[in-house]
Amino acid sequence: MSTTEKATQKVTLQSNDGSKIEVDRCVAERSMLIKNLIEDLGDESIANAPIPIPNVNDPVLRKVVEWCEHHRNDPPQSQEEENDNRKKTTDIEEWDQKFMQVDQEMLFEIILAANYLDIKALLDVGCKTVANMIKGKSPEEIRKTFNITNDFTPEEEEQIRRENEWAEDR
Amino acid sequence: MPPVATLGMPSQPVRDDIDNTWEYLQRGITKIMLNLQEGVDLNTYMGIYTAVHNFCTSQKAVGFSHVANINTGSHRGAHLLGEDLYKKLTEYLTEHLKRLVEQSKAHTDEALLAFYIREWHRYTVSAKYIHHLFRYLNRHWVKREMDEGKKNIYDVYTLHLVRWRDVLFAQVSEKVMHAVLKLVEKQRNGETIEYNQIKQVVESFVSLGLDEGDSSKTTLDVYRYHFERPFLEATKLFYQNESKQFVAENSVVEYMKKAEARLDEEEERVKVYLHPDIAIPLKKACNQVLIAEHQTILRDEFQVLLDNDREEDMARMYNLLSRIADGLDPLRSRFEAHVRKAGLAAVAKVATDADKLEPKVYVDALLEIHTHYQGLVKRAFNDEPEFTRSLDNACREFVNRNEVCKSGSNKSPELLAKYTDVLLRKSSTGVEEAELENTLAQLMTVFKYIEDKDVFQKFYSRMLARRLVHSNSSSDDAETSMISKLKEACGFEYTNKLQRMFQDMQISKDLNTGFREHINTVGTKSLDSSYSVLGTGFWPLTAPGTTFNPPEEISSDCERFSLYYKAKHEGRKLTWLWQLCKGEIKTNYIKNAKMPYIFQVSAYQMAILLLFNDKGKNTYEEIASATQLNTESLDPSLSILLKAKVLNVEGGEKNGPGATYSLNHDFKNKKFRVNLNVGMKSETKQEEVETNKTIEEDRKLLLQSAIVRIMKARKRMKHQQLVSETINQIRTRFVPKVSDIKKCIEILLDKEYLERIDEDDIGYLA
Repeated sequence: MSTTEKATQKVTLQSNDGSKIEVDRCVAERSMLIKNLIEDLGDESIANAPIPIPNVNDPVLRKVVEWCEHHRNDPPQSQEEENDNRKKTTDIEEWDQKFMQVDQEMLFEIILAANYLDIKALLDVGCKTVANMIKGKSPEEIRKTFNITNDFTPEEEEQIRRENEWAEDR
Repeated sequence: MPPVATLGMPSQPVRDDIDNTWEYLQRGITKIMLNLQEGVDLNTYMGIYTAVHNFCTSQKAVGFSHVANINTGSHRGAHLLGEDLYKKLTEYLTEHLKRLVEQSKAHTDEALLAFYIREWHRYTVSAKYIHHLFRYLNRHWVKREMDEGKKNIYDVYTLHLVRWRDVLFAQVSEKVMHAVLKLVEKQRNGETIEYNQIKQVVESFVSLGLDEGDSSKTTLDVYRYHFERPFLEATKLFYQNESKQFVAENSVVEYMKKAEARLDEEEERVKVYLHPDIAIPLKKACNQVLIAEHQTILRDEFQVLLDNDREEDMARMYNLLSRIADGLDPLRSRFEAHVRKAGLAAVAKVATDADKLEPKVYVDALLEIHTHYQGLVKRAFNDEPEFTRSLDNACREFVNRNEVCKSGSNKSPELLAKYTDVLLRKSSTGVEEAELENTLAQLMTVFKYIEDKDVFQKFYSRMLARRLVHSNSSSDDAETSMISKLKEACGFEYTNKLQRMFQDMQISKDLNTGFREHINTVGTKSLDSSYSVLGTGFWPLTAPGTTFNPPEEISSDCERFSLYYKAKHEGRKLTWLWQLCKGEIKTNYIKNAKMPYIFQVSAYQMAILLLFNDKGKNTYEEIASATQLNTESLDPSLSILLKAKVLNVEGGEKNGPGATYSLNHDFKNKKFRVNLNVGMKSETKQEEVETNKTIEEDRKLLLQSAIVRIMKARKRMKHQQLVSETINQIRTRFVPKVSDIKKCIEILLDKEYLERIDEDDIGYLA
């Protein structure tokens, strides 16, 4: 099989609720998990059978596939770039920003799926989105945003504040 | 989340239960480890990956394992799960490998090799699968552990290699290596072997070289210790035994062939199935046992090979000994000694009578030795510069110090110069132009070795002068070519005078043409004459040692030429070198001559013979007073005329004072043109002696001028330094004696060109 033939070979993904999504191989291979799987089991193994994705449901899988389709031609990141990018900013490109405009539950589902499927770039975008939601907020506001109950005793809270004093804006 | 088992999906273990999870995983891993050939289906693959993921992300596990983190205040961040899985996997691998070790005990030698390779392949292929399946563990828990600098935590693939190395390899590597060495020995003994096995063992050993500091890098340490070291030892031992035995039973030449073949074989072995890293140490080991340990007998054989001219075997020896440190030095010194001996012997053979030695025979003898051994250096010793130097040293020795030179070190340059004269002089045995050029080039080879180049120059310029004056040079081209060769070898200064001599001859030619035209316009009757004007400083010629009264017949023409020349070049002084003049006279007094004889005579002989135009008989005294010649010049001139029977002595008296001479009217000769202008043997002999005498004088001047030149530039120098600097400058001409230099310095001190400062400093006085 030539490289282009490989890229457009059809791969079927099956979500945990049984629905099937057909995508180009190069799209599916944005996931390192699937890339390694094809490498290990061979081209034949995926030709006639769907790949089960036991941890992801249909709506989330569709969302993930949508992202992968859009980013199908991104160059693979090198180790160094990866480290750099992470440190750099919480900037998110415009398409990704729009893509991430979903309810909180879906956002977290996407993050979990990206982590599970080993799609580094998507995981980064998800985490950056969450980070932007936290940025500039007080602990109380953050608790409100993410619906977290405060289970610290006042003493514990005081201790934590002291320890992290250095990080506060003054 | 409860275990999920949807349509076509693998059922999952309880995610936060390590035992349950591991039980599930172990089933999959075992399948991969032992039955990979049957293939893994998508469900199993995804099932294992998901189980690892689920375990590492189970909330409950976070809950109880390390709550202490927050209290200790470490900034470790979220706790990551996976340690339990890692430990389980490590234990599993250890057990698996222990079983393999047990199984390996059933095999030895080649079967063991086959077993090792088979299991290694199976294991590493499986390791790659498991590495991928445990990728979630690698990405999070392993990565965190390694980032924190934990030792002995590796990514899952490396963990496989480490386990293999520590459990299986530690126990069986020695046996495997033993089998490898046995196999190699078989091959060295001429059997065909399945060398691919060895190649794969090497690859396995190399893979196990893990850099403990950075798992992404590999080192060759394991391979070097467990493979290279025993391999080299076995190689040494094998060849030590083999060569010892072989040498005892075969000739040295046979041994060299054997060693050569063995060395090639080992080189090939590296290419075919060993790691390139072993190439250099293996070569070194082989060189040591096959060559270095036998170098004494090899060298002893060298003399035999030289004596018998076994070129091919010498080349073989050169190649072998060039592989070891300092292997060739003793060869070179032997070679040098041998060439010197051969050169001396060749000279001794032709030198039975040094006085009558033909220059050609002598030079040919020198050349033959040089050509022979130069060829040997080229063909057998790879044209190596060091051997060429040994050859040069040897040649310099036997060219300058040999049987012929015993009478005087000037003999070599003298004979060489004479040989060039023989070649460049017009002769009956005409030499082809190309061949002549070739021979001259060869002469330069000998010239290069001559130490007393000034002696050669002296003789050469004398003989060149003679060739030019008597215009019996064979070809102008050859003369020019020779001079440019000398110039190339010794510089402009060396050939300056020689070139000026040529110019003088050219200018003289034009001068004669001018003179002839001048005579024709004036319309005086004149002789058919030709004149050469030679610059005093450039020609090795001196004014005649006698007075001479030229005969009327030529003096008027000479007079006219003098006037013509002085008119052209005011203020120049012309001195007549009568001893070099010659002419032809036509006879008309001889009876029975079909044609008049023509005598080629010297100016002196001409003067004598022309006297007989006026008088039939002349006494010795009459001739002497008419010609004004002194006895030293008159006597030999007369004696040639007598010997040739042109003149008779009246009454059979002795040639000399008191004798009376008359023309021989019955003169007979086969040729009509008779050359009477032949130098006497004693004359040339005397010339040689004189040349040699002037050499000593010239050397003193050369030394003094060198010393003055050096001092002028340096102003002040240590005595010792000045001496060595002088030797340096003068060496291209001759090898000066230190005592001579010291003498010259003394002379210059006396003449106040130099002064003594302090103990041993010399200063320059302007």
